[in-house]
Amino acid sequence: MPIADDAEKEMGAMTGFFKTRFAWALLTFLVVGVAAAWLNFGAVSPDNFPVLSWTGWTIKDYLNSKQRPNIVFLGSSLMLVPLDGVDADYLGKRVDGSQHHHSVYFEDKLKEKTGLSLKTFTFALPGEMPSDAYLIVNNLLKGKNKPDMIVYGVGPRDFLDNMLPSPAATDPFRYLSRFGKIDQIADRVSPEFFPRLDYELGKVSYFWQKRADISQTAEQAATSLINAMVPLPVDGYPTTFDERRLLMPDFRPCEVPRGAAFFRPTTAAERNNFVDNLAEYKKRYATMKWDTYISQMRFFADALDVAHAQGIKAVVVAMPITDLNRQLLSNLSWDAYRKGVLAMAKRKGASVIDLSESKDFNRSDFGDTVHLHSGGGKKFFDVVIDQLAKNEDALACFPEENRIAAKNKTTQAATRLPVSATVTTNAKQKLSQRGLPL
Amino acid sequence: MLFNSLQYLVFLPTVFVLFWLVPHRLRVPLLLVASYIFYMSWRPIYGLLILGLTVGNFVLVPMIAKAQEVKHKKLWLGLVVAANLITLAIFKYAYFGIDCVKGGLSLFHVDWNAPHLHIILPLGISFFVFEFIHYAVEVYRGKPLVKKFMDFALFASFFPTQIAGPIKRYQDFIPQLDIPAKFKWEYIDEGMQLILMGLCKKVLLADNLALVVQAGFTHPEKFTSLDMWLITYAFAFQIFFDFAGYTDIARGSALLFGYKVPINFNLPYLAANAADFWHRWHISLSTWLRDYLFIPLGGSRCSRWNMYRNLFITMALGGLWHGAANHFLLWGVYQGVLLILHREYVRLMEAAGLHAKLVKSKLYHVFSVIVTFHFVCVGWVLFRAETEQMCWQIISKLAEAPLALMNFSPSQLTILQIRDPIIFPAIILIVPGLMIAHVVVNWLNNKKFYLSPPWPVQVAVMVAMLCVLTIFSPDTSPRFIYFQF
Repeated sequence: MPIADDAEKEMGAMTGFFKTRFAWALLTFLVVGVAAAWLNFGAVSPDNFPVLSWTGWTIKDYLNSKQRPNIVFLGSSLMLVPLDGVDADYLGKRVDGSQHHHSVYFEDKLKEKTGLSLKTFTFALPGEMPSDAYLIVNNLLKGKNKPDMIVYGVGPRDFLDNMLPSPAATDPFRYLSRFGKIDQIADRVSPEFFPRLDYELGKVSYFWQKRADISQTAEQAATSLINAMVPLPVDGYPTTFDERRLLMPDFRPCEVPRGAAFFRPTTAAERNNFVDNLAEYKKRYATMKWDTYISQMRFFADALDVAHAQGIKAVVVAMPITDLNRQLLSNLSWDAYRKGVLAMAKRKGASVIDLSESKDFNRSDFGDTVHLHSGGGKKFFDVVIDQLAKNEDALACFPEENRIAAKNKTTQAATRLPVSATVTTNAKQKLSQRGLPL
Repeated sequence: MLFNSLQYLVFLPTVFVLFWLVPHRLRVPLLLVASYIFYMSWRPIYGLLILGLTVGNFVLVPMIAKAQEVKHKKLWLGLVVAANLITLAIFKYAYFGIDCVKGGLSLFHVDWNAPHLHIILPLGISFFVFEFIHYAVEVYRGKPLVKKFMDFALFASFFPTQIAGPIKRYQDFIPQLDIPAKFKWEYIDEGMQLILMGLCKKVLLADNLALVVQAGFTHPEKFTSLDMWLITYAFAFQIFFDFAGYTDIARGSALLFGYKVPINFNLPYLAANAADFWHRWHISLSTWLRDYLFIPLGGSRCSRWNMYRNLFITMALGGLWHGAANHFLLWGVYQGVLLILHREYVRLMEAAGLHAKLVKSKLYHVFSVIVTFHFVCVGWVLFRAETEQMCWQIISKLAEAPLALMNFSPSQLTILQIRDPIIFPAIILIVPGLMIAHVVVNWLNNKKFYLSPPWPVQVAVMVAMLCVLTIFSPDTSPRFIYFQF
């Protein structure tokens, strides 16, 4: 169709871009954006999460906790699984993983060993990377709830994960980045062109930057409207989370409601179900991705730097993993990870507990090739507490009021009957289904 | 590269600026390179497939024109069409063929260990193969050859229409390439309006309706018969807005370069019968099927039963074109039967002398539209259900609706009990709203205000669309449904 011929007359006086309707629309759109920014249109508070995932629950609990934690645990599920599993055994009852954010066992045993009465908080999250840990330390571990110490458990996956497209791709990152600006780390968070473009567009357009907030606000408004116009039938009942998950498995994949991931008390005999997750880790370790390694190592260093600057003592624990998992890594990858972590921790003034090659842990301590079950977890925390108890320099970070007189004082907890525990298969499956490393 | 992605947001303006900056003689090569980059961004090796087919057709089709005798022309045409169809068959129907053979052998208790071919369906193959066949047939019918290879290559690979059409006609497209068009700012206005409209259809309507459809069509046992009707309506609008959205973006993108590509939809759910539906739905495909399958089979210039046979074969193959699966074949057969039944109905009514009166009645028209819409919706169940078992389960649920309506109470609707996401109960409002929107747009279609709205109204609509798209574009939007065909 010869457009050029017939279009000339129809064009009228259009001679420049700024005479087009689209140009005016674009300009108006930007002006409306500026006005919306000025009015803070649709913005919601950073802790008003549209979906409560493990990260969301943890942040909410941390911000709402009335008592300042002395020790905050950081790390991935390598740290989270034994923490909750051990508590389930120790307390002799089911522990709701997404709601239980401290370690009773650790608090009691440390008190027993050192006479220190300390509160802990678990910021170990499924899939947490050093970039996430950095955001936790930088954005949240400050102010009235600033802890005295972080105990950061790291594993090789944290630095070598081939399946991580960018630091911004994790569930924790999406939540944690709401609590502060990421301008200074934008080049590391979004190293590739299009994620970076996405970020830069947010600077230009308020609507783009706040799209999650505004769509959340709009969704809430639409929900109220629809609920008023189309109410629930009188004899009906709203569908449960499990019913909804069955119907829409891909809808809000990271959402974890209360009671969806229980760790139950178990005995040694019940912990024999070793899960072979090597196939997953073969993918994670497929090649040595130096970009990921360098980026995450920098975040690791930054987290330790920020902690130091904020007066928080850092203790880095190189987590034990099975020989099966270790054998998936080349010597180069393993050395890069282990030597890198140990050297960096020392350089940044952190205390180091290196259990990565410890002979104290064997396959029978693990639920799969990387996660300690509750029995192995208890052994692990006993070692960590022993090492901490010997480390006068580290313990000096705690204030005087936490030091109670009698080191040999019998605690209530010591009278509790420990029962072995492990994370329930159900909880593991749910984590695994969401693509979170177990 | 998806139209609803950041990649396209960079790609399209870049190509657009370069296109209008370079001299006219470089525009076609530029678009050709851009089109191959667009295609190869998905799977580079398949760039060779489209290139190979382009070269093959460009070399072989002139043989049809050069042949002096009709039988030689036919031979060359058969060769070209067969080569295109064999390529399509290998990439699209190999697994289906193997499954059919395996199923047939199993009837004789032969257990065949079928090979795994590791074939991934190339995007858009059904569309560009149909364009090649159209070119060959038109040349056979005496239309001129395309002289320039670049023009021909761009005809097949033009990135706005490459993946899901509309299926172009070379007589319409190629001449546009030769015109040394001057840049017009109006291209931006018209093109961007279409692109924004298409994105809104996809992101706001199709993607949200998809949540309800996915749940209903994977777990029909959890829903009542009335729910399943609403879910089927939802799918009818999902597939329409998904495909119409894609077509709008394709047409808008082409318009930025000053090129026009054909429309594909004309308010299909206002069709008053099955034949009317196919004049309004996926028009570029239905006209292709008419011109290159129905008419060569004999069309309607033959006996009544032969014409019905031709209709049946055309629609069955049209169904199979959508995908190598029994449910697509069944959908095509269903459409063929609908068309035949409609013709029989018209014939009987004419014989009774009622047809002319009825056609004039507005009430009859409204009734026809409603009935046609429901027949189309039943067809969509065949199209969407992933297994035959699921398909019959849904259809039997739909059939229970009259009984359910007799004892209707809101508690019969499971969708009212799913309050999160809120789109489920909202379907009660959205589906009638979309149908009413169809009627309103139809009414507005010949109003000057709608066809050429005042300048501020156009700006306001574009601003609203920009805001909505910026806010509600998900990080990852589902692919367009027609990408799989």
